[in-house]
Amino acid sequence: MSLHAIKPFGKPLRIIALSLLALSSEAWSHAVVTESSLTSHPVKPNQPTKVVLFFNSGVELALSRVFLVSKGDVFHPVNIAKGKKAGEMLVDIPPLEPGDYALKYKVFAADGHFTENVIRFRVDNP
Amino acid sequence: MFIQGLANFIDDFLGGLMLISYALIVGSLIWAGWILRIWDRSAAGNGAPEPVVAVCVRLLKGGAITLAAMQGTKLLIKGMLLAATLGDFPLEAYFGTVQFIAGLLRLVLSCGFIYLAGRLSASPYDRSAWNTAAFLTVPLVISGAWLVHGVGRFEHREQLMLMTVIHQLAAAVWFGGVAQLLFLWHSRRAEQAAHKFWPLAITRFGWLGAASVLLLVSTGLPLAVEYIGSLDGLFGTGYGSLVATKVALMGGALYFAYRNHKAGKEWKKRGASADLTGKVPYFIEAETFVLVSVLFVAATLSSQPPSVDIKDTTATVSEVAYMFSPRLPKVSSPTHEQLLAGEAGRVAVVDKVPSVAATEWSDYNHNISGIFLTGMCLVAMLSYTGRFRWARYWPVGFIGLSIFLFFRSDAETWPLGPIGFWESTFGNGEVFQHRIATLLAFLLGVLELRARTRPDAHRLRYMFPVLSAFGGILLLTHSHAEFELKSEYLIQSTHTAMGLLAVVVASGRWLELRLATAPVSSQGAAGRFDTGQVAGFLSILAMFVIGNFLMFYREPLY
Repeated sequence: MSLHAIKPFGKPLRIIALSLLALSSEAWSHAVVTESSLTSHPVKPNQPTKVVLFFNSGVELALSRVFLVSKGDVFHPVNIAKGKKAGEMLVDIPPLEPGDYALKYKVFAADGHFTENVIRFRVDNP
Repeated sequence: MFIQGLANFIDDFLGGLMLISYALIVGSLIWAGWILRIWDRSAAGNGAPEPVVAVCVRLLKGGAITLAAMQGTKLLIKGMLLAATLGDFPLEAYFGTVQFIAGLLRLVLSCGFIYLAGRLSASPYDRSAWNTAAFLTVPLVISGAWLVHGVGRFEHREQLMLMTVIHQLAAAVWFGGVAQLLFLWHSRRAEQAAHKFWPLAITRFGWLGAASVLLLVSTGLPLAVEYIGSLDGLFGTGYGSLVATKVALMGGALYFAYRNHKAGKEWKKRGASADLTGKVPYFIEAETFVLVSVLFVAATLSSQPPSVDIKDTTATVSEVAYMFSPRLPKVSSPTHEQLLAGEAGRVAVVDKVPSVAATEWSDYNHNISGIFLTGMCLVAMLSYTGRFRWARYWPVGFIGLSIFLFFRSDAETWPLGPIGFWESTFGNGEVFQHRIATLLAFLLGVLELRARTRPDAHRLRYMFPVLSAFGGILLLTHSHAEFELKSEYLIQSTHTAMGLLAVVVASGRWLELRLATAPVSSQGAAGRFDTGQVAGFLSILAMFVIGNFLMFYREPLY
């Protein structure tokens, strides 16, 4: 194939290449929680807490949901926000009575896979 | 959770089909340039004749149509999944995802390929159409970089994306070339030109195939090191075990490739080779089985978290080895009432209580299935001696197995449990896959029984390897919920090993059937057995090992 043949396609190719590069700013793949602040900072009873979830990669916040699950598997939706670093998610936990709870998250990664998982935790008496 | 399991399974399946169609497009273009030399219209006559180019274009068009259909379906399914999982549909947010944009770009590009393939069907030597197709391949290949694990990494992101794209490209060249060889062989009856071009295609592809394998290994190795990171990561996680499976399958495909290349060299040296028409076409068919499985495994990899990210839930090599260690099969089951009593605690989110009854129920199911399969294989081996005519009826075991599975696979669903048949089948990914497996076992039994007992059932014989391959792919893409990564993986490890063996069952049986139709001169007797018989015995042996795995299966309590 001669270089001469490429010439007419120079502009479209540049546009395609730039479009592809523009995709690279905010992209993530299959997301799992690698760590959470629940380990180092357990939730204290009867006070609101911000739990930090550290994902192995970022998630699409607008397409993700986190639920607080209380005894009897009652689901309460909670607010989520982007953390300071890439891959961090902040979860607002309301004041909780001592007992067993879980966070159930459904996150959408840029590779199109939903990851659904559960993090169990306990709120102890002070 | 339930819809996610089903959606991820369908997603992996579509992903496999997309990789296949992508490989058909890219592989066909490389094939056109390197093997057919369509740009070389000199008097030297190095280029391929028109009917051969037309075969290539047909495959290119097929790949483009499939990719467009699969990509469109995938985008639609993602939207439906979002709506079902989130309870609403944030359309704007979905349209803004990289997944959607890159997917849409691929859809548009594949439509472009459909148009160009249409032009090439009418005029196979249309240089401007070939040139445009070659240029469209660039963004098609590059767009893949935004659909892989590498894009989400915090370190070495660009390098990993680039490495994966090259890895995918090499795989596409290999698989696309093998598919082209397959189509060329099957069009030889209609086209004398294809028949003449066959030896040349084999010898030319030898080097191209070798180069693509070299590229696959040189890019796959650093990717594996980056994503797996340790021996436990390789054997103790879903991601690692699928990579190991991919390597094993590739080893099988390489063996066939080596045999084909050897026959090509012999033809080049002597001007003739009995294997080139007597064995090579069937080796290529078996190689296709294996490579299709490899592509499905590759698609499933994208739904697995890399091993390095789940160190806390990685199983040790000894824990995995324990899953495969021989022990007495469990031949007694808890009652249905005992099982249902433990279900509420087992599926609870907060107060989860592992159910011993559920574990024992599952062990019994797997172990009895293993006894069925092992017994069938022993009878099948007897049938090969030619002395026991009744042994031909060994596939009846599959029918019995399917009835057993139907009643026992998912005890909480109809007919034994309270959840309805349709509700459970389409509302739960695991149940859906179990239902397919049950249907598959039933079909295997019915079709193979007819094939083995009716001499006129020539075409029916091929259903067994085809369904076995499908079953293998089903096992390799089998997904459980992700709440207990380590326990889930230990279960998955056995499914993955059985999936790998199912591909061996399929390829071996296919070769046995196909080589039986080959001319005697090319049979190449090795001692008392010919290649086909050896392949057939390997197929039964692989099925026997699957039976053993099932017979010794022990589910972790979780």
